[in-house]
Amino acid sequence: MKKVKTVVKAKGIEKTYKMSKRNIVKALKGVDIEIKEGDFSAIIGPSGCGKSTLMHILGLLDRPDAGNLEIDGTDMTKLPEKKAFKMRAKKIGFIFQGFNLIPTLTALENVILAGRYGGMGRVERMERAKELLKMLGLGDRINHKPNELSGGQQQRVAIARALMNDPSIILADEPTGELDTKTSLEIMDILKDLNEKEGKTFVIVTHNMEVANECKKIIKLRDGKNA
Amino acid sequence: MEVLRNMWRRKFRTALTIFGIVIGIFAFTVMGSMALKLNKMIDGGKKYITGQISVSPKGSSYGLATGTLPIDTLNKISQIDGVDKVAAMASLLVSEPDPDNASVSFGNPPTIYGADNQSDFKNRNWETMDMREGRMLDKNSKNDEVTIGINIATDKKLHVGDTFNIRGRDFKVVGVVAKTMTGPDDYVFMNINPAREMLIASNPFMKSLYDSGKLKLEDVNSMAGVSWKDGADSEKVAAEIKDKFGKDVTVMSPVKMGEMIDKASATFNAIILGSAMLALIVGLFSIVNTMVMSISERTKEIGIKKAIGASPKSIAFEYTMEAGVIGLVGGAIGLGLGVLAATIVNNKMAEKGAEIFLIEPSFLVAVIIFSFVVGIVAGVIPAIRASKLKVVEAIREL
Repeated sequence: MKKVKTVVKAKGIEKTYKMSKRNIVKALKGVDIEIKEGDFSAIIGPSGCGKSTLMHILGLLDRPDAGNLEIDGTDMTKLPEKKAFKMRAKKIGFIFQGFNLIPTLTALENVILAGRYGGMGRVERMERAKELLKMLGLGDRINHKPNELSGGQQQRVAIARALMNDPSIILADEPTGELDTKTSLEIMDILKDLNEKEGKTFVIVTHNMEVANECKKIIKLRDGKNA
Repeated sequence: MEVLRNMWRRKFRTALTIFGIVIGIFAFTVMGSMALKLNKMIDGGKKYITGQISVSPKGSSYGLATGTLPIDTLNKISQIDGVDKVAAMASLLVSEPDPDNASVSFGNPPTIYGADNQSDFKNRNWETMDMREGRMLDKNSKNDEVTIGINIATDKKLHVGDTFNIRGRDFKVVGVVAKTMTGPDDYVFMNINPAREMLIASNPFMKSLYDSGKLKLEDVNSMAGVSWKDGADSEKVAAEIKDKFGKDVTVMSPVKMGEMIDKASATFNAIILGSAMLALIVGLFSIVNTMVMSISERTKEIGIKKAIGASPKSIAFEYTMEAGVIGLVGGAIGLGLGVLAATIVNNKMAEKGAEIFLIEPSFLVAVIIFSFVVGIVAGVIPAIRASKLKVVEAIREL
């Protein structure tokens, strides 16, 4: 049997936020998590359980106070911000709840931007961005600005942007949170398709059980711990 | 491209900021061109004044005399060791100042410069002059011939062959000197004797002395130029003249005068450029303010960019460039308006032969580069702040 590569390995992750002197929030109190290549996992739990914090740490947007984090076998626990941006550009793709496209850029330019940060050449990133948008059914929308696109279309642009640098893992934070049921299903179908046909690894943070039920693996959190 | 689009997002605010820079650069262009013109004038004066030892009667200001230098004194000065030639000069204003019809003018008033055309004296820095038309006066020039500066020629619409009436006397214009941007543009060059006569006629006291035979024409000299022999030290020669004739004459040594002029022009430049700088600093802070605001508006956007892998450097570069472009656009408009204003005023003043501004291409290029640099400087701190935004905090604004 072929050995499946481990993409993310986190052990005993702790994170405390000091909101003010008296208001100290222990968001994560020792979470373990392991994501293998080709996984399609959901992180679920009630609001305030630390889902978003965990995603930020897995996405190298934040550092844990304690515990170990490995991505593609490299220790990221104490990675300084100076180096983190390169890892984010190449290894991690983000899909956010509010789409979060740059409003002044067209769909194509939004996708190209990720390629630029990932160090792709001018021609290469232009071609790849077009190809990805076409694959996601936006071939005739590449020159539209985000405000000229529907919610579902914007989220597809965001997916294309996340795929741009062919990352090891794609983190999606409530990817259907601002979409109606029908569009939500469409987006989930796209993500599942990418997972099944292209072998992309997904971690989806959600509190929506319908979304979670579409995933192959469910990681439950409660009060900052694995439940 | 993205920079321009971002600027355009808040059209009104960007326009106001640009307007701030426009005012600053406008002031800088106008004041700078004025300083350039003044410096050019001062430099010309300096060139002349450091090319000779100037001697004037005690108690007079440079050139325009109340007293006179007796020819006897000048002859004695020419005997001093190291002195090459001494040339007597007589100068006075072309027209009598009229307090009832006074206007403040910029630069030199038209001045008669009467020099002894038989003398071999030469100013070391200013031996010949380029002519626009005709010729310079020489040893064969007659007493009714004049060569005039370009400003006078323009103002009075005079050409070679025309008659020029000065203080009731008719003179024939034999030459017009090419533009020097300094003193000679406002000079009327003539032989010394007619100048002496007019000087006497202008002063009732001198006139009574002259009429009674107590004052000789050759003693009426308002100034003298002294040249030194090759190899002689101008300062030593000047000191020697001062030593021997200091009671009767004021001696201006080339080196000391040069230093004095430099000091004066430095003060002058500091005042002019200082006031323009002030306007520019105000503009600079308006860019800082705009950038801080536009960055705080775009916190979320910066967060997204960082999340998808933007380096702090690329974020800082982007915002710095945006500020730089604001500076550049404001600079270009301000420069255009400044040049326009200076040209209009110059054209108006040119009729009177008193241009105020010197518009130099190299200065304009420097102003444009400078306006871009001002933008960059204004943008650097806000941009660095933007690049240091914590991604998580920026993203939380989602």
